[in-house]
Amino acid sequence: MATSSINPNLEPVFAFLQSTYSMIESTWNRVPGSAVVARYIRSSHQNDPGRTLLEVLLIIFAVRTLLQSRTRAEGSGKNFISLSEKEIDELVDDWVPESLVQPLSPQEQHELDNVPVFQGPAGSKPKLLSTGKTVMNLVSYNFTGLAGDERITSRAIETLRKYGLGSCGPPGFYGTIDVHMNLEEDIASFLGTEAAIIYSQGFSTISSVIPAFCKRGDIIVADRGVNFAIHKGIQISRSTVRWYDHNDLRSLEEVLQSVEKERIKKRLPLTRRFIVTEGIFENDGAMLDLPKVIALKNKYKFRLCLDESFSFGTLGRTGRGLTELYNVPATEVDLLVGSLANAFCAAGGFCAGSIHVVNHQRINGTSFVFSASMPASLAVSSSEAIQILTNNPTHLTTLHENVRLIRSILEKVDGIHIPSHAASPLIHIQLAKSIPPSSPATKSMKRGHSLEPIQTVKSNAQSVLPANPLQFDIEAEERILQDVVEEALAQGVLITRAKRLRGQEIVEPRPAIKLAVTAGLNRKDTERTATVIKNAFVKVLARKKKAGPMLV
Amino acid sequence: MRIPDDDDAASDTSLSIRSSLRTEDDSSTTYSRSPDDSDDPSDELVTPLQPPNSTQQFTTRHTEFGHCANEDYRHVSAFKPTAKIVPFVEEDPPYYILLPTYFSYIMLIIFGHIRDFFGKRFRSQSYRHLMPSNGYAAMNSDFDSFYTRRLKQRMDDCFSRPITGVPGRTVMLLDRVSHDNKLSFNLTGSKTRALNTASYNYLGFAQAEGGCADAVEEGIRRYGMSSCSPRLEAGTTDLHQQAEALVAKFVGEEDAMIASMGFATNSTTLPALVGKGCLVISDELNHASIRFGVRLSGANVRTFKHNDMGSLEALLREVISQGQPRTHRPWKKILLIVEGLYSMEGTLVNLPGIMELKQKYKFYLYVDEAHSIGALGPHGRGVADYFSIDPAQIDILMGTFTKSFGAAGGYIAGSRALISQLRRRSHATCYSESVSPAVLTQIIASMGSIMGISPPVPQPAMSDPPKSSADVRGEMYVYPGPAPASALPTWMNLPPQLKDGSEGRTRLRRLAFNSRYLSRGLKKLGFITYGHADSPIVPLLLFNPGKMVLFSRLMLARKLPIIVVVVGYPATPLISGRVRFCMSAAHTKEDVDFILKACDEIGDLLDLKHGHVKERWSIEEVLRRSGELVEMEEVE
Repeated sequence: MATSSINPNLEPVFAFLQSTYSMIESTWNRVPGSAVVARYIRSSHQNDPGRTLLEVLLIIFAVRTLLQSRTRAEGSGKNFISLSEKEIDELVDDWVPESLVQPLSPQEQHELDNVPVFQGPAGSKPKLLSTGKTVMNLVSYNFTGLAGDERITSRAIETLRKYGLGSCGPPGFYGTIDVHMNLEEDIASFLGTEAAIIYSQGFSTISSVIPAFCKRGDIIVADRGVNFAIHKGIQISRSTVRWYDHNDLRSLEEVLQSVEKERIKKRLPLTRRFIVTEGIFENDGAMLDLPKVIALKNKYKFRLCLDESFSFGTLGRTGRGLTELYNVPATEVDLLVGSLANAFCAAGGFCAGSIHVVNHQRINGTSFVFSASMPASLAVSSSEAIQILTNNPTHLTTLHENVRLIRSILEKVDGIHIPSHAASPLIHIQLAKSIPPSSPATKSMKRGHSLEPIQTVKSNAQSVLPANPLQFDIEAEERILQDVVEEALAQGVLITRAKRLRGQEIVEPRPAIKLAVTAGLNRKDTERTATVIKNAFVKVLARKKKAGPMLV
Repeated sequence: MRIPDDDDAASDTSLSIRSSLRTEDDSSTTYSRSPDDSDDPSDELVTPLQPPNSTQQFTTRHTEFGHCANEDYRHVSAFKPTAKIVPFVEEDPPYYILLPTYFSYIMLIIFGHIRDFFGKRFRSQSYRHLMPSNGYAAMNSDFDSFYTRRLKQRMDDCFSRPITGVPGRTVMLLDRVSHDNKLSFNLTGSKTRALNTASYNYLGFAQAEGGCADAVEEGIRRYGMSSCSPRLEAGTTDLHQQAEALVAKFVGEEDAMIASMGFATNSTTLPALVGKGCLVISDELNHASIRFGVRLSGANVRTFKHNDMGSLEALLREVISQGQPRTHRPWKKILLIVEGLYSMEGTLVNLPGIMELKQKYKFYLYVDEAHSIGALGPHGRGVADYFSIDPAQIDILMGTFTKSFGAAGGYIAGSRALISQLRRRSHATCYSESVSPAVLTQIIASMGSIMGISPPVPQPAMSDPPKSSADVRGEMYVYPGPAPASALPTWMNLPPQLKDGSEGRTRLRRLAFNSRYLSRGLKKLGFITYGHADSPIVPLLLFNPGKMVLFSRLMLARKLPIIVVVVGYPATPLISGRVRFCMSAAHTKEDVDFILKACDEIGDLLDLKHGHVKERWSIEEVLRRSGELVEMEEVE
């Protein structure tokens, strides 16, 4: 070493260092086994000096990590302010939490009180508890008219007498009953997929299926108009999301291209990529052009997760859903999710796909693993419904005729807009002209509707908002629609506004009246309901026109 | 209290097995179903070991709900003020158990990786879903599924065993075999009846016969199977309102709301309750549904050590004094979420401790009573009842109907303002299907029969044993007496023993006896068990993953097969694999004896007895002194 050539003024320093070094050396030598270690280090240093450096760095790093984790456990790191016990006591005494919930406003209370309650079963002609009157029901998702069907109830009772009601356990721990396995087989063979898995609640199915496959770093390309449950599933998955314009397949293709481009540009690793969309959209009744989406997903190598909650059991000759309608094999859809609670009038949901897809969910589908399996009687009800639809497609022909009939009557009404597909049994009716928001401070404006329309035509795939979001005053529109609902009810037809979780939705959907057409009503009744709804709209819109200036 | 003697009963066994009350019922097809062909009538699971004498009439099937007439085998589940609430301690096994446990996991991991390495190269066909192909990324990454494929699959025969029939006291297993290393199973077509210690059937309401099932049948006839709509649209029937009113009354809150799935009760309500700027303090062992809901809500989350009041208080002091991260603004509100009874540990929440802290730190309290409702407390009203705490002091009570009530779904109960707000804001009420009327009927019938329906039939000797009501805490919340008859649908006709609440009471006390007997018995035999003595969930520690498989298989292979739930990593910490017994009111004392005997034998075989109990008892002693064991204050 070149110490001797250095400034002699540093002599005492070196002397000190020398003595310290010899002291350390002697202490070190006293430690048993030190010689071995020293020899090892020396020889390893001789062989590869780089390695010594590396190891020293490693040790420093390890020590640092250890220390860091200890500080992190104590508080929120840098931001932590240490306070004395007395100060903490004072702060604790001072702290006044907000009340747990805000009491309902009179308006909200009124709305809640006016939720229809049936006395007796919910069917196509239920009896209202409040008035005791029988109404025609276009609210329940009794599309097939199977609610209260003799064949189903008698099978359910038979099952009850053999299995009891509850399953008393999650599927992994003796909650798998043979009727569940039968139902899974029934669904798989009904759709023509390899396998299927059933969940015990329709809503919780897709919000559990998405995070079972999509993890951090995976890519989801989703429609801007997807339903609330899908939003929640996407939210919990923590995947990267790209949005495309609602039911706009050109926009979808652009987004798919941009995802692939971005991956190549940034040299990102290949991760799982999914297109998530709905068969019939819960929020407006629009329908997906499935063959085109399948062509796109195959072209760009994405997988498709399709929520058929409203199309399964309602579309196609026997109710197999969108795949039957377009005559596409269901195996083309990687994750086919549907509900057994809507058209099948039972409960729960399912995901159909390949064996691997299904088995993966048996361990990773959160709401499958951690929830009790569905009551045997409900599982059997679904199996029976599949049986009925397969053997006897008249339920669906009636439904499709009723849809056509209602559409033909409603389409003549001025001032309304029906965004739903002509074949959709779920019909949304909106006001043709949106009521512009009265003031920027309107509460409902909080999210989703920027006041200044963005001029760019293309929407930003990273934002859930479209380029030119339509602006509307939720409260004013809902008030008009509610008038229509009440008008129709006075005439003995039960319809409803599409109920929303205002304030919790990521995009506030446009207020609408939601009709669930049912095969449970015959042609004459259906015609009557449509006429009543038509008249109600005409009446309310005319009244609104009169009072027009006051609204704006 | 007399034990029936054999001669009495021999003459009249048929009476006991089927409902004697419904002899007048002519729908013989449903009731006089011959027992399954695979049921051998000499089987103890089918026929009671001590057949009832002519004076005893049982209204239940022995396979669903065991016959147990001996009043000695009863206990009242209540917190004794003299008892101390001991914090949760994990008892460690000796090192010679611990090290092999780690070693087994290491071996599993090494072998798993070796198999993956060669498998991917030489048998790529069976690894297709784990490898990127054709421009698609792997459907599941091999890393994520490593545990499932390489560890769990080896013991897959112990999980998801399919069953048929009622998951009551006994259950009928569908036998299955695997020809491809448990990748898939084929049913053999044969069946095995086994004693069921796996279902969450605490009060034994999983029954295909009896008053509740009759009510459900009537319910289905009247209401069908579904209400086909979310609650906010058209999914509400008068039955929903009746059930919710009854639940509120049962748990002692102003109002209640029912959701159609237990998991969703948490996962769809929590986001409606808290949001940005709120803090959720969560026990580290809280259920997945709570984590799911909290994650959706966007609130901040902090966890504290399981059931440790010291850790909770330290955390509370820190978060209140520090405020929100970075901005240091005070929290809008703090919600403490705990479970009443933890399903993996069997620990009971330290509710008195939490109520004290609640006074001081002003947080809101959310108690998930998924497992404790119905199963604990002298009235079966859960942990608040058990500790004699006024339930109205707890802001939000949540529970499920899957467990004690033999139904499905869950409830949220609280103040009227809270529930009204949740009815508007919960995801479930707006978007998910409402509860099936069949389920609602089961809820009403089972809950009503625990409460009793007024006018109460005079009940002479049926009142609680004196020790129960006298020595529970001073300022006691008095649970409302029997539910008024108007709380039930007019068409619901419960049999008298359900109506007067006597059967409900018996169920509660049988469950309390069975739970305590098993947990104490295992302890005295020298096993390491977790949890509270009154918990109907009794976890027995096995540690080694290999022993988990063996334990489950050995229990099933016995002459009198017993099915158990074994749980290991990742549901528990790596080294504390365990078997979990779920006790039920449907079990008889003899059933618990069988379980204890089986555990004793298998425990010796697998070297499981490492508990630190001062004085171990032999199995004979445990069986003989069962009553003493149950009444003991503390097991030393």
